[in-house]
Amino acid sequence: MTLTIDGRQITVPKGTNVLEAARALGIDISAFCYHPGLSIAACCRQCLVSVEKNPKLQPSCQQTAGEGMVVHTTDPQSTHARKQMLEFTLVNHPIDCPICDKAGECTLQKLYFEHDNADSRVDVPKIEKPKVVDLGPHVVLDAERCILCTRCIRVCDEVAGVHELEMSQRGSHQELGTAPGARLENPYSLNTVDVCPVGALTSKDFRFTMRAWELEATPSVCNGCATGCNTEIHHKNDRVWRLVPRHNPDVNKYWMCDEGRFTYHGLRDDRLAVPTIEGLPATWDRALARAAEQLKAALKSPAQVAVVLSAQHSNEENFALAKLAAAWKVTNVFVSASAPAPGRADAILRDADVDPNARGVQAIAGAAVKPFAELEAGINTGAIRAVVALGDALALGDAAQGRLHELDALIVLAWREVGAARAATVALPIAAWAERGGTITNRAGVVQRQHAAVLPPGQAVAGWEALVRLAQATGASLSKTAWSHPREVHKDMVAAVPAFAGSQWGREARPIQLRFANSRG
Amino acid sequence: MAGGHAHDAHDDHGDGPEVLSVSDKNPRVRTIQVKRPTPAESSYLAATAKGLGVTLKHFVKNTFSRRKNTYIETIEYPEQKFEYPERFRGLHRLMHRDDGAVRCVACMCCPTVCPAHCITIVPAQTDDNGIEKYPATFEIDELRCVVCGLCVEACPCDAIRMDTGIHAKPVEERHEAIMTKDLLLELGARSTAVQGGEGADWRGKK
Ligand code: SF4
Ligand code: SF4
Ligand code: SF4
Ligand code: SF4
Ligand code: FES
Repeated sequence: MTLTIDGRQITVPKGTNVLEAARALGIDISAFCYHPGLSIAACCRQCLVSVEKNPKLQPSCQQTAGEGMVVHTTDPQSTHARKQMLEFTLVNHPIDCPICDKAGECTLQKLYFEHDNADSRVDVPKIEKPKVVDLGPHVVLDAERCILCTRCIRVCDEVAGVHELEMSQRGSHQELGTAPGARLENPYSLNTVDVCPVGALTSKDFRFTMRAWELEATPSVCNGCATGCNTEIHHKNDRVWRLVPRHNPDVNKYWMCDEGRFTYHGLRDDRLAVPTIEGLPATWDRALARAAEQLKAALKSPAQVAVVLSAQHSNEENFALAKLAAAWKVTNVFVSASAPAPGRADAILRDADVDPNARGVQAIAGAAVKPFAELEAGINTGAIRAVVALGDALALGDAAQGRLHELDALIVLAWREVGAARAATVALPIAAWAERGGTITNRAGVVQRQHAAVLPPGQAVAGWEALVRLAQATGASLSKTAWSHPREVHKDMVAAVPAFAGSQWGREARPIQLRFANSRG
Repeated sequence: MAGGHAHDAHDDHGDGPEVLSVSDKNPRVRTIQVKRPTPAESSYLAATAKGLGVTLKHFVKNTFSRRKNTYIETIEYPEQKFEYPERFRGLHRLMHRDDGAVRCVACMCCPTVCPAHCITIVPAQTDDNGIEKYPATFEIDELRCVVCGLCVEACPCDAIRMDTGIHAKPVEERHEAIMTKDLLLELGARSTAVQGGEGADWRGKK
């Protein structure tokens, strides 16, 4: 289909709407109710344009592009109509911006400055509606701010597949609320907050903690399960404040689950910030010397040493540890994985496997990996005398857990001081997923890149770097070229592991300041 | 505003100093080219002579000039007090609502605009659904404040003012110069601005 918009021609696939065709030309037609990931409601009329040979203005979100169609978006008639629609939307809108969480990333604010920017002409009282309505466990509604676009209803119906939100009344009194007998409690409920073009729906988790314009955004990938939804980390002063989904048509489209959004809380608690020896803080030099001393003794017979990779950690970290095991001639290689959570799996996004990188670590460990039960048996019989583990989670039975302290060496590289990191003879602090660059492989085998958004706490360093230090301390070498950046680890990994063929490290992402970004929703 | 906003940390062009290398551990740590003073400059001989010249000039002027207004003015403080100009602002204060509660709604406009980054607010939720948000803590570091008054300009609800005319007190410890919410409210008073604006019929009142 070839059509002309504002005098410029564009060819789009059949079925594309005029609004998307215009966007492809860089013409941003204002819109509230249209969302590329949802069905079309055409109820806000904010996207009206003139189509030649058509006596009435057309909503460009609903109007599919036709052959030879001539569209005008800047003619006086449609410009005036959109301006009037905006004024109409603002008739009952409270000017709550100072206390509204959406301020700074609000589509209504943006369009007001772009289109109207004039004083209100309304001098009748605004209609009052309920404020601070508790819709569900994670979302609060302010019905006065709602501009009745129905996007949130469509997200529940079409993405989560449950009808939990509904409109009632008519005209100025039309009001959003929960459907009879329902609450907004589906596992994807916070997507409603993302799509809401105004601050009518706010997230209880994020509400009043930070102003949107203070935040910086760094692209990342959710660490919550094997799906690997693409996310943006919103952070400020090296602290993460929220995770929001990032569009990826092949993985998560525009969405992510609520549980995944809350994974950033884990970055704040129980952090291991300095190396420890027998649970007491130590310098890196002393901790490495102690680890090397213990390991050198055990490595006299590599059969009594076990190396544990982790499905919770990145490909680069696991590859470095696998190389280290090879350099030490250790063949007892295991993979620690979390217990699956079948209850959370659905056909939408959420997966029963709550480890983000099970496929990646499988590819790296290859056929050499031994069943985890052998590690457990080895610890119980005393055949294994030393363990080097990535991550704090060693899914061992009670008997083996109890015998951990009898090992000659338990060297743990972890970012939280829990589980195995507490029992360790030497624990080395490493950066968590939001603090280092790295790749993870999702359930479909897509290798995705996580970027470092914030600095790791205290003396923690990236996992691959901690492993380089450990290798040096034990006199082992991981690579012919000394690694100085994760991209070099990645390069070696792509060359060594066939499953990563063609994977590229890509460029480093710098944070974007949200105050210079577009509206969100 | 999706991802893909990639920039290679190494190809950094711009007007800033020349970047020689970027740390691998932390891309925000860079080695840059700086301009060092020449040996002649770093001996400070010329600069010292120039400075002493200024001192000498003022000494001669103050000692021998007959016109009074060229003398350096000396005030015998504390017996004699300096007369502040009429537009002197003084310490900040936080205004009250009719019921004595803080007017501030923790909108974060003032910490955003503050060029000295000296306002710290921790917002929280109130029980009053019409207000929703208030500052649980509100602190101004008067040592860092540059007295620009932008915070007062930014405030949408006449919550913060700089009209006390009180000079910041000398302190022994830096932390004593931080004004807390309680102190700021103590200096405050009920604001005459109408809560929630003039109302729907504001044109009739004008
Ligand atoms: S709450 Fe937000 S998303 Fe839902 S109808 Fe209202 S404005 Fe639209
Ligand atoms: S579905 Fe999985 S990857 Fe996606 S947001 Fe939820 S936990 Fe994260
Ligand atoms: S007067 Fe200026 S520097 Fe001082 S607190 Fe206000 S905005 Fe900040
Ligand atoms: S600008 Fe006014 S209302 Fe907003 S945080 Fe500052 S003092 Fe409070
Ligand atoms: S965006 Fe087209 S009618 Fe709402």
